[in-house]
Amino acid sequence: MKALNYLRADTIDNALQYLDEFKQDIRILAGGTDLVVRLKQDMIKENNILDISRIKELNGIFRKNGTIHVLPLTTHTDILESEVIEKYAFILREACATIGSPQIRNRGTLGGNIANASPAGDSISALFVQTAKLKLKSINSERVVSIEEFFTGPGKTILEPNELLVDIFMPELEENEIGFFKKLGQRNALAIAVLNVAVKMRRSETGTNTFDRAVVAFGAVAPTVVRGRRVEKAIVSSSLDSPEQIHYIAKLSFREVSPISDIRASLKYRQDMSINLLYEGLLGLSANDWKRKA
Amino acid sequence: MKDFKYIGKSVPRIDAADKASGKIKYMSDLNFPGMLFGKILRAKYPHALIKKIDTSQAKALPGVVAVVTWEDVPGLNGFGIVVPDQPVLCEDKVRYIGDAVVAVAAETKEIAEEAIKLITVEYEPLPIVDDPIKATQPDSPKVHTDGNIHLHTKISRGDVKKGFKEADVIVEHTYYTGMQEHVFLETESGVSKLEEDGTLSVYAGSQYPQRDQMQLSRCLALNPRKIHVVSYPVGGAFGGKDELTIQPILGLLALKTKRPVKIVMSREESIISYWKRHPMIMKYKTGVKKDGTLIANEVKIYADTGAYASLGGPVLNLAIEHACGPYKLSNVNIDGYCIYTNNGTSGAFRGFGVPQATFAMETQMDIIAEKLRIDPVELRRKNALRRGDIAPIGNRLTTSVGTVAVLDGIRKTKLWQNREKYLVNDFKKPWIKKGFGIALTYQGTGLGVGLPDYGGAILKFCKNGGFEVGVGLVDYGQGIGTSYAQIAAEAMKCPIDKINVLLGDTDTTADSGPTSASRGVYTGGKAIIIAAERMIKILKSKASEILGVSADNLTASDGCICASNEPEKKVFYEEIASRFMNETCHLPQTEGYFLMPVADIKIKDAFGLPHNIFAFSAHLTLIEVNTLTGQTKVLKGAEVIDAGDVINRQGLEGQSEGGFVMGMGYGLFENMIVEKGIFKTTNFSTYIIPSIEDAPFEIETVTIVNPEETGPYRAKGVAETVMGGTAPAITNAIYNAVGVRIFKIPATSEVVYTLLKEKEKTE
Repeated sequence: MKALNYLRADTIDNALQYLDEFKQDIRILAGGTDLVVRLKQDMIKENNILDISRIKELNGIFRKNGTIHVLPLTTHTDILESEVIEKYAFILREACATIGSPQIRNRGTLGGNIANASPAGDSISALFVQTAKLKLKSINSERVVSIEEFFTGPGKTILEPNELLVDIFMPELEENEIGFFKKLGQRNALAIAVLNVAVKMRRSETGTNTFDRAVVAFGAVAPTVVRGRRVEKAIVSSSLDSPEQIHYIAKLSFREVSPISDIRASLKYRQDMSINLLYEGLLGLSANDWKRKA
Repeated sequence: MKDFKYIGKSVPRIDAADKASGKIKYMSDLNFPGMLFGKILRAKYPHALIKKIDTSQAKALPGVVAVVTWEDVPGLNGFGIVVPDQPVLCEDKVRYIGDAVVAVAAETKEIAEEAIKLITVEYEPLPIVDDPIKATQPDSPKVHTDGNIHLHTKISRGDVKKGFKEADVIVEHTYYTGMQEHVFLETESGVSKLEEDGTLSVYAGSQYPQRDQMQLSRCLALNPRKIHVVSYPVGGAFGGKDELTIQPILGLLALKTKRPVKIVMSREESIISYWKRHPMIMKYKTGVKKDGTLIANEVKIYADTGAYASLGGPVLNLAIEHACGPYKLSNVNIDGYCIYTNNGTSGAFRGFGVPQATFAMETQMDIIAEKLRIDPVELRRKNALRRGDIAPIGNRLTTSVGTVAVLDGIRKTKLWQNREKYLVNDFKKPWIKKGFGIALTYQGTGLGVGLPDYGGAILKFCKNGGFEVGVGLVDYGQGIGTSYAQIAAEAMKCPIDKINVLLGDTDTTADSGPTSASRGVYTGGKAIIIAAERMIKILKSKASEILGVSADNLTASDGCICASNEPEKKVFYEEIASRFMNETCHLPQTEGYFLMPVADIKIKDAFGLPHNIFAFSAHLTLIEVNTLTGQTKVLKGAEVIDAGDVINRQGLEGQSEGGFVMGMGYGLFENMIVEKGIFKTTNFSTYIIPSIEDAPFEIETVTIVNPEETGPYRAKGVAETVMGGTAPAITNAIYNAVGVRIFKIPATSEVVYTLLKEKEKTE
């Protein structure tokens, strides 16, 4: 492992100054669950490490005007232990519960999971369907982007070198909104997703098996997490009355994904799993009369 | 059993507190003043000629103390338990990607790493030998000059042709098993140090310090008495530290620099460099009569040993011995090859060839049971070997045989009793299918015929009236240290907290052979009992002087020697010790040596075969398969074990549960991917072992009563059999659940899903 220059910021402003000063040659340390591994593998080209883990302003979960704010240094464990999240952002909660192990969830942060921009990042698919927005701040500007706009490729985002992710927020889930996060890994813990899928649907007030809104996202099947718009349209425009109908809709996933073959799974298996994981999730909801909890 | 104070009881591990508190120092924790750090340059290609090695730039780097190549190896540049065909440092050729070429010792780890990068080696890449069957062809490129077949063993008995003619059903399939990694927590690590008196100390966790000493003396051209090997404590081994690993390079660097040198393998380097479970291709043709009687078995085994022999030959032979399962079969033809390739290097691993053969044979049995509509337990019972029977390869079973007993014991498990209830599928989730499967396995204890197989123990009387037991074997997690304490305490009639167990040290412990082959409790335990009998005689003779009672009328009991008919007339061990000290300033010491009994015959041309004592186990699993994803979840497990009489109940349960989960990994998850000699799964995010979230909530351990009269307190070893049957019990359960047969393990989700899809297409 090479020698590095370690910097620590205690406030957002402090961090933004460092970022502005070192620009391309600085790497942010939040929870370190990914960065430290890469450092040991000599995979980090930057020479400066900016430790933001002690910035208090970047840590916390709160509700404000129908919006849930999860600040970027919030750990996955914090998310799992939050009643607010359980009630108003339960899809995110389900996703965070599948990340790593208790040790990793204790250190890993939501902001880190996003900024890492892994196409298999488990929280990201959930944030897609919860239509999260991100606030990005630099020393002289501030902007808000939707989570979908943020990613440009594996490990690549629109974040400028002098910008910091300072807030993650999303609308509270409504009473009539249901959904799920499902992950297929090679084992039940400490697994990188072979594939994951997140779904949010709003029950329509008219029919029993009908929905007036649906958002679907797939992870680990494309260079970034992707939306399943054809699936969404099909959910909204039909009635999910039978397993056959649900399977018919799930099969549309095939057209949404562009997976690759790698050490974890083949392209073909991932294609089929994008269908079957969605199918299984929808069947599960259906068997539960489209209610949130079993 | 109830007469015993310690034997058969759940005695807490003697090392538990030190391990849990972190007090114990593993070899990778050791530090010495002036210590250097070693680093090894490994091959760049899986198969290549070395044209030139240039170390000048590395040598010139400030902080580098030594750079060594093959030219610096003072003795034989080769090691290997059976054939020393593996170079300490390669001279003219590399044969796998983990081959060691150059080693560096430097002031810091970072400098050592930097120096490695400055070494240039010119290679001429050679064609890669990666298909073990093709490797046996005469036109294949050769890994070693003598050819790629390291060992060919053929055993024929009876008349297979005639057998197949008489058979009503013939089942013929080819089985494939994966390359499995041991995944011990502590990678191959240690420190070597040249002492002031010229002795070379080698602190590196391993399974047999005295053999390490012998191999090191050969490589380093040192008198073995001038090499002190400490191989305990060790953070896990499972067979992977039976052969030498980093020790010769450590020793070489310490001799060269005259300073302590430490090497700690990274996980990635450990995975590419050292031993694995042999992948095998096994062709089975089994003939059976309508009533279920097995009549003929023809088996062909190809074992891929990778670049070097290590224990590849014995692994093949053990697979051959166990290829037909613990069943009566009088017409057999078993033909096995152990083959060199450039696919890493394979060696000893818990089970030693038996888990591979068990997977194949137990799947055959499941297929036969289904074809003949015979209950799988009944089919096995019908063919089960019993004591006095002739085993498939021709030896008579003269010791305890638990085949029928473990099969009958299946009924005692809660899992069997409730299986109908457990197998009910959830109507809300019709895509989840449950299944139940069994498998039977057995495992020879000890090294087999023709190999020196002995146990040795040193017993020292201590001032506090306790005893120090020194056995050269190593507790690498299986718990023999605790078993030895129990055996010594029981044999010496002394409180267990007054027993101090020393393990794995060429200075303080007796050569007791390798810690392998499920032989630890058996051989070491017997040696302790022999040493204890001698010690009791000495104590009685001294007590006789003190008490004025003839030694014949004395009994050892509860830490004292007392008159047999007047128990109140007694003298405590402590008093005996102080008497010895007062009289001679010396406390007695005894030694026990025990020769393992061997089988009545030798199998022609099959070194090490047969074995004489076997442990048996039946494995049961309840699983569910998600037909949408192919994922298999193991819901419940049970093992019915013939361990002879049990020494430590809790220890046995630990072995059983650990073995079950390791077998689960073997059957479902663990897939070391090697493509054209290159490892693709060098860490734990790609090489998947089961986590506690994957292990079933309950694994039952049921023991049967079947004492092994020759064993210490009638016990025998179970460390391996507990692992061997889990994979086929799971794959048989998968068939039971969803009707797809698994011929290749691991049965990962994708494998099962693909089979399900194929089945759907054909239906």
